[in-house]
Amino acid sequence: MLFPEPGTASGVQWAWLAPALSASAFFAVVLLGRFIPRNRAFLSILAIAAGFGVFWYVLKEFLSSGGGEFSVKWFTVGDITVSWGIVVDELSVVMLGLVTFVALAVQVYSLGYMKGEARFGWYFAVHSLFAAAMLTVVLTDNFLLLYMAWELVGVCSYLLIGFWYERRSAAEAAKKAFITTRIGDVGLLIGIIMLFKATGGHFDYSTIVHVAEEGGIASGTLTVAMLLIFLGAMGKSAQFPLHVWLPDAMEGPAPVSALIHAATMVVAGVYLVARLFPLFLLAPTALLVVAIIGLITALLTASMALVMTDLKRVLAYSTISHLGFMMLALGSGGFTAGMFHLLTHAFAKALLFLGAGSIAHGSGKTDIREMGGLWRRMPVTAVAFGIGVLALGGIPPLSGFFSKDEVLVAVLSGRGPVFFVLTLAAALMSAMYMARLLFLVVLGNLKKENEHAHESPWVMKLPLVALAILALTAGFLAPGWTSDYKGFGAFLFHEEPEAYHINGLVMGLSLALAFGGFALGWALYSRGLLSADRIRERFAWLHRLLVNKYYIDALYQWVINRIVLVLGRFIALFDRVVINDTGVNGTGRSVLLSGIRLRYLETGKVYNYALGMVVGVVVVALIWWLGLPNV
Amino acid sequence: MATLDSYVLMALVVIPFVGGLALAFFPGESRRAIRGFSALVGLVVFALTIYVFLRYDSDLGGYQFIREYGWLDSLGVAFSLGVDGISVPMVLLTGIVLFTGVLISWNIQVRTKDFFVLYLLLVAGVFGVFVSLDLFFFFFFYELAVLPMYILIGVWGSSTDFGTFNRPKEYGAMKLMLFLTAGSVLVWVAILAVYVESGLGTFSLLALEDVTFSDGFQRVFFPLFMVGFGVLAGLWPFHTWSPDGHVAAPTAVSMVHAGVLMKLGAYGIIRVGLDLLPGGAQDWMPLLLGMATVNVVYGAISAMGQTDLKYMIGYSSVSHMGYVLMGFATLNSVGMGGAVLQMFSHGIMTALMFAAVGALYDRAHVRDIGVLEGLTKRMPVVAIFFVLAGLTSIGLPGLSGFVAEVMVFLGVFQDYPVVGILAVVGAGITAVYILRMLAKVFFGTITPRWEHLTDATRVEGFAMGVLLLFLLVVGLYPRPWMDLINSGVAPLLERVVGL
Repeated sequence: MLFPEPGTASGVQWAWLAPALSASAFFAVVLLGRFIPRNRAFLSILAIAAGFGVFWYVLKEFLSSGGGEFSVKWFTVGDITVSWGIVVDELSVVMLGLVTFVALAVQVYSLGYMKGEARFGWYFAVHSLFAAAMLTVVLTDNFLLLYMAWELVGVCSYLLIGFWYERRSAAEAAKKAFITTRIGDVGLLIGIIMLFKATGGHFDYSTIVHVAEEGGIASGTLTVAMLLIFLGAMGKSAQFPLHVWLPDAMEGPAPVSALIHAATMVVAGVYLVARLFPLFLLAPTALLVVAIIGLITALLTASMALVMTDLKRVLAYSTISHLGFMMLALGSGGFTAGMFHLLTHAFAKALLFLGAGSIAHGSGKTDIREMGGLWRRMPVTAVAFGIGVLALGGIPPLSGFFSKDEVLVAVLSGRGPVFFVLTLAAALMSAMYMARLLFLVVLGNLKKENEHAHESPWVMKLPLVALAILALTAGFLAPGWTSDYKGFGAFLFHEEPEAYHINGLVMGLSLALAFGGFALGWALYSRGLLSADRIRERFAWLHRLLVNKYYIDALYQWVINRIVLVLGRFIALFDRVVINDTGVNGTGRSVLLSGIRLRYLETGKVYNYALGMVVGVVVVALIWWLGLPNV
Repeated sequence: MATLDSYVLMALVVIPFVGGLALAFFPGESRRAIRGFSALVGLVVFALTIYVFLRYDSDLGGYQFIREYGWLDSLGVAFSLGVDGISVPMVLLTGIVLFTGVLISWNIQVRTKDFFVLYLLLVAGVFGVFVSLDLFFFFFFYELAVLPMYILIGVWGSSTDFGTFNRPKEYGAMKLMLFLTAGSVLVWVAILAVYVESGLGTFSLLALEDVTFSDGFQRVFFPLFMVGFGVLAGLWPFHTWSPDGHVAAPTAVSMVHAGVLMKLGAYGIIRVGLDLLPGGAQDWMPLLLGMATVNVVYGAISAMGQTDLKYMIGYSSVSHMGYVLMGFATLNSVGMGGAVLQMFSHGIMTALMFAAVGALYDRAHVRDIGVLEGLTKRMPVVAIFFVLAGLTSIGLPGLSGFVAEVMVFLGVFQDYPVVGILAVVGAGITAVYILRMLAKVFFGTITPRWEHLTDATRVEGFAMGVLLLFLLVVGLYPRPWMDLINSGVAPLLERVVGL
């Protein structure tokens, strides 16, 4: 039951209100928009703010009386009942808080950023729909509702990437994002159906986990199903080789990038792996694949982030790389590490994207080579952006330091030294590209053309400050401080609580890499001790490879143009020429032709007809004589 | 209410039929009166179909609103009417498409009267098929539904001329007619065979249901139903009439054609074929499944290769009808339930798509995807409806297509996982061609050539809104539909399982 029954004390089931409110805001604005006076954004903001309120209420209730699962029947077909339901546990409460908070911050920010846009109301309506869908993703207790919300989230992303659809590039980027993630979703759906079939007709997580733990699912089936489900997660979380859509998605407005393509939707894949962690543990091969894909993604995209020149693209590649870290952590068995990194990264990266938006808003620049010294003109934005950079770069005591450290610990203990060393390399690059942003964008000398740059309005600064505070402090959630609070690992865990532990070697290496990366960046981009240009010339081939994104996008384009579309045209032509013109028209023509031929038999001469009769009689007699005895 | 209950099915057939005949006496030049009267007929019938939908008791199940009028007693022909959980959604679908189709044809300029006369006769035939419980009348209405199509396409249709590729509308009309007649011949042969073999001397479906035909008979005659009706459902490789026919037809006729007429074929396969010859069905379903899989995948790939907007939707219908046939072929409650819901859902969705394409074509006079660009700026309303219909076709949750397709997938996976994978992949390909088309035609910067286009009129917008409403309601709250469908599918399956 979604409504509290008399006698049940638990109020956590009211969590369903959070998505329902945003969904209502969407329908209200879309259907009744014309009757709502002035700007319609306030409805969306009100809904998500109320959702954030719901989070606090649910958190309070959850801490006092625990969670649970609640569902209502949706429809029945045959003997299968399909329901809509929510599960309230540590994982979904954390995600509920994250999504409502970041969505609220981004929507408030959008008031300033999107001011004066045509389709302002539409923008907020889609944001509401997105919030509703995303909250459903994190709250749902069954696979079918998950898939529904999952697809809806994708559509909102499609609509918002293509918000400025008059731009060809935006329309193409939206399409690319949808189709790429859709490839993953084909796998996801097949995986879900496999589990549905293997468990005798169940969609809900708890039953499936239960059946699997009892050994009710053959291990081969489970492994294949989990790999297919992970394919869906790879699509949404932009993991290699389905990562190509995320950088292009930067065609959307900056707040959209902050919310959807940094803090919430793209982490849905990570969340899904975490949610299904018990199943992945039963399919170790699948878990290994998660780790490997995460590692490849982290390394590959971090290297690309080093050479991109568009600010949002650098951030996009960095996002993919960090999503790789999260997958890697989960794949190494580090449940808490992966989720904690998800949390700290979400704050820091949302902050950076909103900062990038503020910079573009105030200076009109998107290319980092044209920026520099912006702290002189837009101090709040610059400081907030700087905090985000340092947090993601892993400088203590900012949040990213703590979570990255946990990821490294998890990788070392779960997957061994090879994975660990490669992860360190990715972490070093992470520090370097963040240093590049720090020195090229925030610090340095103000360029002449940026003289007129100005600070953004308070509706944009306020979310920046709020996120900056979290990026600064969220790391302190990790250790336990009081006897009541034993750290994030004791709150959010799988199987057994993890105390925050310090591995001296790992932390030393991590610190050395973070500071080393920033020092290298300082030497390259600020002091000019090393010339970035000389390095670029020296390793021209490498630079070309990176700038061209390892030619992966080009390869896909080639496959689409030369294979997929050609196949489509071929089949279309085959249908026209072979099936229709030969098969159908051919049949028609042969009937016509036989008519034309046969009419010559109508000679009107009696002896012709007599001959025909005789031949006929003989044939019938022969058949009679030869064939009949056998019948 | 009791009196209405006993006449409502009769009224569904008689009102459009008499309305159509009455329209013939209107003066040809009074277009306003003609379309106003047609809209009134449409509205009344639409309301009656909603009444039937709400009034049918799915807990009770079985045939309801039964009514029988003797006709040719010596041959055992009676005009007997009744609906069950499968035909009720089809009746509602026909009501919706009839009404919105009249509104979409609001601005027909050429021979307005003749158009609406034929249109109403066509719809009367369709209703007749869905409510008949007598094979003779079933077949009679089946033919009645097809004949007006020929004239409607031949006179009010549009030809395709791509230079290298020409398809005159007369060709489309002729091919459609020949194909459907050929299918009818097979069906009629099989119906007569059933009539004779049963030895009961009746065409009554309810009486024939109780006969158990010999295995050999079932095995020989089921394919005639399967292919004969299958032609109308767009079964591969007998599908080529369908895209050509869709493209040549005027908008409202495309809507009825793809939206309802193709469902007649699918409906015939289960109502007559599966119901009377369950043993034959069991033998032949693997073949149907194979052909339906080709429908889905081949249809989707063909749609991807099209350059004409209407052809793309035509092939997309071939692909989507494949899910219906696939669901039937599973012979389990989930797959068949999904298939029937898909019939309803696809009917509404494709009607919406053709309505939107029609609105676009009426103004641009071009359907070439390569030429159209950035139309949202000038036609935002058409664009919104087109995008939503497209998303339904992709299977976006919250819209009706998702529920139906997922059930078909689940049903197919029970016994045929490989086919199930292909089915899901087919849905993936759908996303590719729909999104490519949307991005090309509606997004991007508008070319000067299209700056003069105007958006949909209020009437068109209202009609499309009605269609969209049903897509949303079924997508979000499919329960009433599923309760109906379950009650209709269960007895059918019992007959198969009871073998």
